Amino acid sequence: MKKVLLLLLIVSLAVTAGCGSTNTQAPAPKDSSIKIGGSSTLAPTIANCANDFTEKYQTWKKVNAQLPDEQIVIFVASGGSGLGVNSAINGTVDIGLVSREIKDSEKAKLPNHKFYTLGYDALTIAVNPKNPVLQVKPNLTAEEVKKIFSGELKTWQQLDASLPNRPIVVAVRDLGGGATQAFDEAIMKGTPITKEAIQLPSMGALAGKVQENVDAIGYVSVGFVQADKAKFGVLSVNGIAPTSENIAAGKYQIARPLIIITKDKPDDKQQNFIEYLLSENGYKAIEAMGFVPVRVK
Amino acid sequence: MTPVRGDKTDKRLAAVGMLVSCLAAGFLISIYGFIGYGSSAAWHQFGLEILRSDAWAPLGQQPRLGILTMIASTLWCAVGALLLASPLGVCSAIFLSEVAPPWVGQLMRPVILLLTGIPSVVYGFLGAAVLVTFFEVKLGMASGESLFCGSIVLAVMILPYIISGSYHALQSIPAGYREAASALGVSEPYAVTRVLLPLVYKNIAAAIAIAFGRATGETMAVLMLAGNTLTMPDSWFSKGETLSALIALELGSSEAGSLHHQGLFAAGLVLLALVTAINIGVNGWLSPRREEDGR
Repeated sequence: MKKVLLLLLIVSLAVTAGCGSTNTQAPAPKDSSIKIGGSSTLAPTIANCANDFTEKYQTWKKVNAQLPDEQIVIFVASGGSGLGVNSAINGTVDIGLVSREIKDSEKAKLPNHKFYTLGYDALTIAVNPKNPVLQVKPNLTAEEVKKIFSGELKTWQQLDASLPNRPIVVAVRDLGGGATQAFDEAIMKGTPITKEAIQLPSMGALAGKVQENVDAIGYVSVGFVQADKAKFGVLSVNGIAPTSENIAAGKYQIARPLIIITKDKPDDKQQNFIEYLLSENGYKAIEAMGFVPVRVK
Repeated sequence: MTPVRGDKTDKRLAAVGMLVSCLAAGFLISIYGFIGYGSSAAWHQFGLEILRSDAWAPLGQQPRLGILTMIASTLWCAVGALLLASPLGVCSAIFLSEVAPPWVGQLMRPVILLLTGIPSVVYGFLGAAVLVTFFEVKLGMASGESLFCGSIVLAVMILPYIISGSYHALQSIPAGYREAASALGVSEPYAVTRVLLPLVYKNIAAAIAIAFGRATGETMAVLMLAGNTLTMPDSWFSKGETLSALIALELGSSEAGSLHHQGLFAAGLVLLALVTAINIGVNGWLSPRREEDGR
């Protein structure tokens, strides 16, 4: 009986202590790791860079002789551009990843913020490689793209008489996400996307939908298309194909910046990692994922 | 152990127990408080239009926060899952409890309970890979996602709850009822449908209601299968976005404290209220019955 009581007391104490500590000890003990989080588009690239960086240098002292002799620890989490900004604001992460323009209302909450544009991602208008539209009409005007995504054109036949009379399956990312905002700015310009559009929970799922469904059309990040070109059919918009040159030259319109943001001036360790990202090493990693580094622009 | 000491220990134990249960209850209340506080401005600005309107455009020039389509999709998906799972689940429970030889029950029940341990994202993945492709390729639907797809996978997920709830209800019936039925020479189906089921139908209904609560709140599988369109569902085969899917999809990208964020909190409050209402309703319905019965 006594043992049980003791056990219960310990458990309940642990529970209450757990509850208390989250309220009272808000600032966690300062650890030396760098926490990075945000855009699901950018996170894999940054994670690759963090791996290379850690493997190359091992300890901070080897990065820069003035830094302490500590193991390099960098965490990268993915969760959306909104999360990137929010957690930079509330300090959950040291560096936020954002794959859209930063809103003025968000800048207001980060008075001392620093942000660095690493590169650009383009959203390709992608269809299934079996879709005959690739032969019939490989180039759409921005107006046609808008009509498809707003639901004005409901079947492929309405786009071109020689296409099959099958419904157009519009696939999009969630309506608040970074990709949707970039797409809205470049193409929709305030016109709402059709309510019948299927919302996919990640860019990977959106790419998968376009790969699997013959009638699907979606805006797929150029990074995904570059990784597996045979599985996507990419349409030009206003006669401009989303090639690296066109994106870098700013000719291809449906593009969005890839940004990293810090709440205040980054500390020495963060600064060193950010400099690594902004060096040739970082640019190569961004290029390897199919994005266009800011250097070329 | 002397009786006095035992008495003291019991009292302390009771106090600790009380403390822990109060903490648990306080936790639920604080969740309500937190979600209510997070969505208060949205309720203040839009009021009941949130529940009545089917226009969800939190980022439009004129923001709208109607979640009627999501409520409809949530209920449609969950009720559909019950339609599929209830007959199957209750019949399985009857089979395991009354018909099958004991070793079959001993073998099957752990296996069925194991189904509850499979993560919902795995169910969703299976559904997306198998069901959605099946509807697209074999049935020629333009896109395979639908509330029906969601319902099928939800049905598999809630089946264990219905089976084990109904099974335990049937097992709780004293053997005397079965013996009496045998002695009167009625057939087994007659004994099950006319003697045993009337005794425990409320407990079986409770098991189904708990499964309904589970189905309403399920997120990942439905997120991957229901299509997440903003349209009002008009058939089982139309697409829709459930409340939980809406929150999972958009919370990550919403700006903290914005109207969008608050709208999602409002959706969370509605979902929480829905599940709580189901649970309270079932409890209220069940408790007087026990006293009448004296069982």
